[in-house]
This record gives sequence, structure tokens and C-alpha cells, in this order.
Amino acid sequence: MENKKIEQKLRQEAKTLLQQRRVDYIIGYEMGSLKFTTTPLITKSENDTDRLVVNPFIVNNLSVYLTEVKGKVGIVVKGCDSRSIVSLIQDNKIAREALVIMGIPCPGLIDLKKVELLLGKDRDELDNITRDGDKVVIMVDGKESNFPATEVLFDNCLVCEFPTPQEYDVLLGEPTFPVGDITAGQAKIRQLKEMAPQQRWEFWKNEFSRCIRCYACRNVCPACFCQKCFVEESEPQWVLPTPKWQDNLLFQAIRNIHVAGRCTDCGECERVCPMNISLRSLTREMYEIVGELFQYKAGMDKNALPLLTAYESTEVEDFIR
Amino acid sequence: MEQEVGWEPKLLGFLCRWCSYAGADLAGISRKKYPANIKIIKVPCSGRVDPLFIIKALRLGFDGVLVSGCYPGDCHYQTGNYCARRRMAITKKFLEYMGIESQRIQASWVSASEGGKLAEVVTEVTKELREIGPNQLFADGK
Repeated sequence: MENKKIEQKLRQEAKTLLQQRRVDYIIGYEMGSLKFTTTPLITKSENDTDRLVVNPFIVNNLSVYLTEVKGKVGIVVKGCDSRSIVSLIQDNKIAREALVIMGIPCPGLIDLKKVELLLGKDRDELDNITRDGDKVVIMVDGKESNFPATEVLFDNCLVCEFPTPQEYDVLLGEPTFPVGDITAGQAKIRQLKEMAPQQRWEFWKNEFSRCIRCYACRNVCPACFCQKCFVEESEPQWVLPTPKWQDNLLFQAIRNIHVAGRCTDCGECERVCPMNISLRSLTREMYEIVGELFQYKAGMDKNALPLLTAYESTEVEDFIR
Repeated sequence: MEQEVGWEPKLLGFLCRWCSYAGADLAGISRKKYPANIKIIKVPCSGRVDPLFIIKALRLGFDGVLVSGCYPGDCHYQTGNYCARRRMAITKKFLEYMGIESQRIQASWVSASEGGKLAEVVTEVTKELREIGPNQLFADGK
């Protein structure tokens, strides 16, 4: 098992880092309280490093904790998380010297919701889920069934361009290559783009009528690091506190524009949304717009200026009179 | 789209105080005619305009928003209009994707000596807004 080997190396590495006092904290993943799930582990203790895990369920983007944890940090990252870190370095939110990045080449993560939907069974009824190359093997009632990995991976893993971390101190395991099928992962956006503007607006109106404004999307987002969010301002009050669809939509539209050029489309907002709002259809499109207009990809170059503070003297202005 | 009788488009203009706002002043002094549909807010620089202002104006019922600043290279603060340009490009494209008509979000470069251009821009934008009709985007459950 590839993962087991990486896991052993990771535990060893994390332990050494703490023993040699090269870091104050380790941020990684441990097994969660629900079956298959993992949960973030933030620890100072060498003994806890034995609880670190690497498996196809390490979904959280841990870079969100970096702006909160003080001191030197050893952090476990996947391809997408490493880009969030680079983006935070670009914005001077964290210092590269204060980090020891342990990179894990990520072949894509398994979406338990998709597995449940595919099998029509609750996750508690499943015995085991393992990844084997481009297949996922699921054990139910002692019987094995195979599925193509693309059917159960997260949507954002299907459009992942950089599964190997872009920035790391140690890389645990061999670099990997994109697993998914970019066109399949973008089906939703293509569908939306074919609609008339009014239909699209209706679609979003519908989506945001469900929003309960729990702000999970904002709180889980590594690019959303404002000390005070505009939604919490009372003078002027940009957004009313009651979750009306108009204000929900305004909030999300502005959130997306504010994180333009920093959002790496890691998909955390959509994953944590309790109302299953199709947020990645927004973040992905913003990612594409930024790429198309300014040939810019978030979190690729830690020495580059952040997108919205940089400029070229001649740039797109066909829309300006 | 049903239009109420006597409906007039409401346009909100964010004008840079170093150029476009002075341009509007000049338009007045030179007795240039332009529609009274624009309400002007003076901003220190077009770079001051947060996309939040734009969508909030639409949410409050304005039919369109115009952001006007200095020509590239002429910014009083060196780079404000360059930043505004990037931001506006992204905002416009993104809001179009969400379903907001592109005519509702407008931008222009108008220098302090171009009273005539400002009058022209406001006239054109107002005409476009008249064509697409009232802003119903955020209607219902006000």
C-alpha cells in the first residue's frame, strides 16, 4: 500500500521535526469520529504524531489554520493546499521561513456522498473503501465491487491540474499526474453558460434561496482572511442579517470577486456547504476568467504580485468607453 | 418586460475627482446637455470603487452603474486606475456569468478636459439602459 508507506514516512518526519524543535506545531490529519472521515490534527506533542494518517479521505485544506496558529509550523499538504499556501505567502499573510511543508502527491480524494449515492447505502454499511490505481474497490457485506475512480472522486479533483504540491520541503512519495477528465468535471459550468442570462439568474436565485448564511464557505476558505468581513459591517450595512436570497447572492458574488486570483478552486466551500449550493460553479468560472483575461493562475509563484494589486500598462479594456 | 408609465432609467456614476468629476463640471460650465438620469458620487480615484458598491447599487434598485476614471498613465495616484481596470474587467465578466446584463455595468475613461465626452458617455449609457428596461434582478420580497 502506497498510502501506508507515505503515512509511515510522514509520522517519522513529523516526529523528527518536533524532537529537533524545528517546528512548534504539526498540522495534519487523523481519523475522524465518523466512519472513513478524517479530521485535522494540530499538535505540539511527539506522541500524537502516531495518529497522523494519509488516505483518500484527507479532504480538509489545512492551510486555513496557518493564519491562526502562531510559531513555526510543520504542515501536511496536497497539491491544491500547497497552492493556497503559496497564495497566502504572496499576500504576506504567512512567512515561508516559518513553515516546513510536507507534501503528499495526491491522486484525488474520494467523495463519500458520491459513494453513498452510487451504492444506495449509508457509509456505515460499507466495510472498506480502497483506491487501486484508476479503480476504487468497495467492500460491502464481504463482497468486493470495483468502480472507475472518476465516478467517486470529488468534482474538483477531476479538474485538478497540479496533484503534486507546488511548494514543499519534503515530498513524501513520487510525483503524480492529473487523474481526471477536465471536460467531464466542467459539465455543470458548460450547461450554465448555454443558458440565457435570465435563466442563469433564475438558477442562482434558486440556489441562494436555500442559503442559510452559516458562513461555513467563508470560514473554511484559506483565501478569505479579512479580519472583518464586509457582511459584518453595520455602518454602512452592506448586507442585511436576515438570509434573503438577494443578500445571500450579493454576499457570495462579492466573496468570489474578493478572492479572485487567490482562489485555487480547492472546492472546500462547496464541500462544507450544508445546503449543497453549487458554489464551485462560481469559483471555477472565476478561476477561468482570471486565467483567460490575465493568464494568471492562483498560487503558482510565491514571488509574483497578487493579481489585483499588479497591472500591465496595456491590458484588456475593450469594455471601457 | 412590463414597464411602469413614465419609467426613467436610474444610473449611478462613480466619478474620479481628478478627472471625470472635473469633466462633469466642465460639461456643466460649457452648457453641454446630458440626461439627468445620472446620480453622481465623487470618489477619490476609480481604484476606490469596490465591486461591492456596484452590486449593492443594483441591489438598491439602480438600473446601471458607471465607473469613470482617468486615462491609463494619468492617475493622480500613479496606479489606481490600472487596478480599477483589472477589477472592473473581472467584475463585469463574473457578474455577466451570474446573469446580470452587461449593459448595467459600464466603465469609461474621461479626462478633466473632456466635458463633451462625459456628456456623450452618459447619453449613450442612458440610451442602452432604456433599451434593456428596468432592473428587475433583485425584485420580489423587498
